[in-house]
Amino acid sequence: MKKLFAVTLGILTAIGGFVDIGDIVANSQTGARFGMRLAWVVVLGVGGICVYAEMCGRVAAVAHRGVFDLVRERLGPRIALVNLLGSYAVTMLTLTAEIGGVALAVELATSVNYLLWVPIAAFVIWVVLWRVKFSTLERVFGLAGLALVIFVIAVFRLHPQWSVLGHEATSFGPSDGEEWATYGFFAVALFAAAMTPYEVFFFSSGGVEERWTRKDLTLSRANVFVGFPLGGLLSLAIMACASLVYLPVGAEVDTLGQAALPTAIAAGKLGLALVILGFFAATFGAALETGLSAGYTVAQYFGWQWGKYVPPRRAARFHTVIIVSILIGVAVLLTTVDPIQVTEYSLVFSAVVLPLTYLPILVVANDREYLGDQANSKVTNVLGLAYLVVILVVAVAAVPLMIVTGVGG
Amino acid sequence: MTDQPEPLRLDFHLLDRQIVDVDGRMVGNVDDVELDVDRGGTPRVVALLVGQAVLGRRIGGLVGRWLEASARRLSPDPDPAPIRIPYDLVMSVGSEIELRVKASALGEPPLETWLRKHFVDRIPGADHAGE
Repeated sequence: MKKLFAVTLGILTAIGGFVDIGDIVANSQTGARFGMRLAWVVVLGVGGICVYAEMCGRVAAVAHRGVFDLVRERLGPRIALVNLLGSYAVTMLTLTAEIGGVALAVELATSVNYLLWVPIAAFVIWVVLWRVKFSTLERVFGLAGLALVIFVIAVFRLHPQWSVLGHEATSFGPSDGEEWATYGFFAVALFAAAMTPYEVFFFSSGGVEERWTRKDLTLSRANVFVGFPLGGLLSLAIMACASLVYLPVGAEVDTLGQAALPTAIAAGKLGLALVILGFFAATFGAALETGLSAGYTVAQYFGWQWGKYVPPRRAARFHTVIIVSILIGVAVLLTTVDPIQVTEYSLVFSAVVLPLTYLPILVVANDREYLGDQANSKVTNVLGLAYLVVILVVAVAAVPLMIVTGVGG
Repeated sequence: MTDQPEPLRLDFHLLDRQIVDVDGRMVGNVDDVELDVDRGGTPRVVALLVGQAVLGRRIGGLVGRWLEASARRLSPDPDPAPIRIPYDLVMSVGSEIELRVKASALGEPPLETWLRKHFVDRIPGADHAGE
């Protein structure tokens, strides 16, 4: 019974924690412009994160190692340093976008300009990272993120013509009046949103933080194979809502408020309240995850003590990296750059660094000296390799598509 | 005796691997190793070296020199010595390298000490693990 409870709680947390500012922006924008024509990319991306997060879970449970630890061991200190610079920069960009997302969500609730909320949000994020236990912070925001289920309810309440949504979802290629390049650009953004590198840094290091052992493999797999796909379903619901409201009138989504509007249309004040709570929880939770991930990558490269399971004074360098990262994020946002644009760039550059993150995971998950009988099976390897090919294509295509389309145009 | 894979490969089993102390606290990564050659000509690992300067030297080039120089700037010592862990203190070599001793017996990297003293310890709650 206790185990069932733990598994259920883990799954619920994984669902609520799956969506972040990148998913919200990418799915809303894509829905508004292409309807469900790019839904298959979300399915593909969720499959990818499942395959690789499961590998990370095994490495964390059996060998007690975080991803970046392995990157340096497998690629050597030189290439790993390049990798660190790339991964840190992208995680930093994502952290900036998430802090901006928190501030925008509070702006939606209070009508007070988000720039005033940025320093406050950042401070509260830091306090939580400084004081709150790992399992608590993961759980609270994961569960609160479940408020985003309102998007699923909203889809039904908008009384869609299911056959139209289905037709869109099964037709490949852009709608009339849209270019293939734009279609490709949004495909890249959606894929990167589902497979953002910090997710595996966080998932693997979190497993080490929570002292996973082989006994926790079931829990880890349940989180991944049940929680993530259901989280992906929330992403698809966000896409569907945007498509139902904006596609017919040819409007684009440029703000968080526009992403929230379909739920208000469908479910009134209560819908709006839930969606704001959901946006807040999703971005706040992701800000915690990216803040920690910034610390994890640097500390694991250098071998410093990291983690929330020791008091901050025992991991002084780790906590300093987190604080500095949050401050950089705040400084960037206070230049009044649009957080939604920061999100778009964070997705493009996430796509570029994807191979740097995922290749070492595949290599290590095959290492019998680390994993013994838990090393990758043939099926996992075929899937892992297939995804690596997709990842490489996405990484190569990202910047050219960004330039050709002017970040989606 | 050290519990280690046979044959022990420097690049594969030792270099860049995480070292943890007897309580599981992270000491650092193996940034370099110190070797000795016995009379028969067989090389033998004498010690593991941990330190940003050693890492910088191993990486080499512009970036390596920068790492080395920054390590020097961050240390009160003009030529900071790495943490040297005699190989006898290694209990086992697995996915982590476990030591027989506590991290406090090995000395602490200057950056950690400095940041704790001048920054982290001045913030309330620095000695509490999360609750």
